[in-house]
Amino acid sequence: MSAMGAGPGQVITAQGLTKHYGNVRALVDLTLDVRPGEIFGFLGPNGAGKSTMIRTLLGFLHPTRGTATVLGLDISTDSVEIRGRVGYLPGGIALYDSLSGRDALDYLVDLQGREPVRREELCERLQMADGVLKRRVRDYSRGMRQKIGVIQALQHDPELAILDEPTEGLDPLMQHAFYGIMEDLRAQGRTIFFSSHILSEVERVCDRVAIIRAGHLMALQDVDELLARRKRKVQLRWRGAAPDLSGVPGIADVVIKGDEMRATLLGEVAPFVRAIASPSLEDLTIEPARLEEAFLEYYAGDEASEEMRG
Amino acid sequence: MNPRLFLQTLRWNQFKLLAVAAAAIGWGLLLPIIYTSFSDAFRQLVNSGTIPKQLLSFGSGNFFTLPGALTIGLEHPLTIAFMGIFAVGSSVAAVAGERERGTLEVLLARPISRRTLYRTVAAALIVLLAVVMAALLGGQAIGIALQGLGDQINLAYMPLVFLNGLMLWTAFAAFGLAASVSFDRTAPALGLTMAYLLVNYFLEILGSLWTDVAWSQQYSLFHHFQPGEILTGKADPLDFVILAVAIAIPVMFAVIVFPRRDLAAPS
Repeated sequence: MSAMGAGPGQVITAQGLTKHYGNVRALVDLTLDVRPGEIFGFLGPNGAGKSTMIRTLLGFLHPTRGTATVLGLDISTDSVEIRGRVGYLPGGIALYDSLSGRDALDYLVDLQGREPVRREELCERLQMADGVLKRRVRDYSRGMRQKIGVIQALQHDPELAILDEPTEGLDPLMQHAFYGIMEDLRAQGRTIFFSSHILSEVERVCDRVAIIRAGHLMALQDVDELLARRKRKVQLRWRGAAPDLSGVPGIADVVIKGDEMRATLLGEVAPFVRAIASPSLEDLTIEPARLEEAFLEYYAGDEASEEMRG
Repeated sequence: MNPRLFLQTLRWNQFKLLAVAAAAIGWGLLLPIIYTSFSDAFRQLVNSGTIPKQLLSFGSGNFFTLPGALTIGLEHPLTIAFMGIFAVGSSVAAVAGERERGTLEVLLARPISRRTLYRTVAAALIVLLAVVMAALLGGQAIGIALQGLGDQINLAYMPLVFLNGLMLWTAFAAFGLAASVSFDRTAPALGLTMAYLLVNYFLEILGSLWTDVAWSQQYSLFHHFQPGEILTGKADPLDFVILAVAIAIPVMFAVIVFPRRDLAAPS
């Protein structure tokens, strides 16, 4: 693991954060930090402790042990001030059904005590037209509710957005729009703490990722770094004599069938490519390293891993 | 207190409040009319021995004097229903209802402390109860004027009756709100608050109908709401003190317990 511990200037720090519900250990000795301007993925299957962590950071839950800060403020004593500077999207958000979408957004931003400086842009990108916002929330589909949830969390341009399963219920087009919003926020220096059980989206948008299992932090790493240390599957076909891969570092699991070879490659690609470069090479496939592989390693033998693959 | 939350809480209840206040005015108006039309007939019934006097002495009131008749009206099940809509229904739904619907999440994601939320909701509930109590007493005052009964009662005592009644129902609302902040679902909070209200009501009515257990009334909060006594200039300060204590205990419980509670993710 890397980047552990709570350095000064971090947006979120947690030191030995522990939360027990009676005999259930929802979070165990969790230590992590989130840096300014990054998209931080908090990855784990349902019930791993992701929401517990978020709720503890926002003061909904009181830690059993340990300390944490958000934007330099103590979660135990400065919870109200923290929530004034954060945008939060709860998992499976519920809204006031009797209000229209616009009234719900107005009400929530009034309570936030900030101007909805980003609302217009967010509504446009998430395709929430005026006509839709005039309808009552009770008439909204699940995806539309989720979009209102995203807008209410970000409309006041918070320094830190804490988003619990933000793409839940969004169609692929809107997921794509959402990823674009996240990337723009990052480019503007905002920080996003983003919990998910969808590996592909974490891999796609996050700079760093924490993997949590049964309340324990299993990994905390740059996504690129994590992927660079994964094995890639390689497959090649040739005419004539098989290429000699004996001197290639990181090559393993070699299976040759006729004029086809399958293997795994860990580490740099260049030595491998040099070794196979020959006019007899007919076809080559190098599959990109996937977060799924890393995740499954931490969840080996766990039923939850099946849930995450989907 | 959060002004935006306060106004929105009142707004959620505005149509309910209008309907209940209108009904309360109507009910209040009816009581002096009932008294004018039937008090002599009731007196004759009792004197003839046809029905026992206790049956016409419901709660702390009676049908033989105007203050007594007004008291019956203010302790009548209909009044319990009017006031209970807010003192029980709205108080219980205030936090546990939001929690059950999942909207408490969104609310507390704002820079609002749980104590501020509690104070704001409590203030809104007091306003709602005050409006209904004022409607009841206003209806009674109009009825008294229409029936020409102004000489039988000193309306200058009405503000004290209002305060006494508001304290009674605030005590039930405070209990409901304490239950509301303690549970994740409305059902147990509602059950507990209804039980509290009904036990109090039962003790009051039982003591008034069955003289052998008249002592039971002392243990009912309803017995410390004495419009009849107040309207005849015999208000007992102890009634106000007891109601103040009945308000203070659940308030203290709520402001201590609510901020310390864990609010786990809604299931």
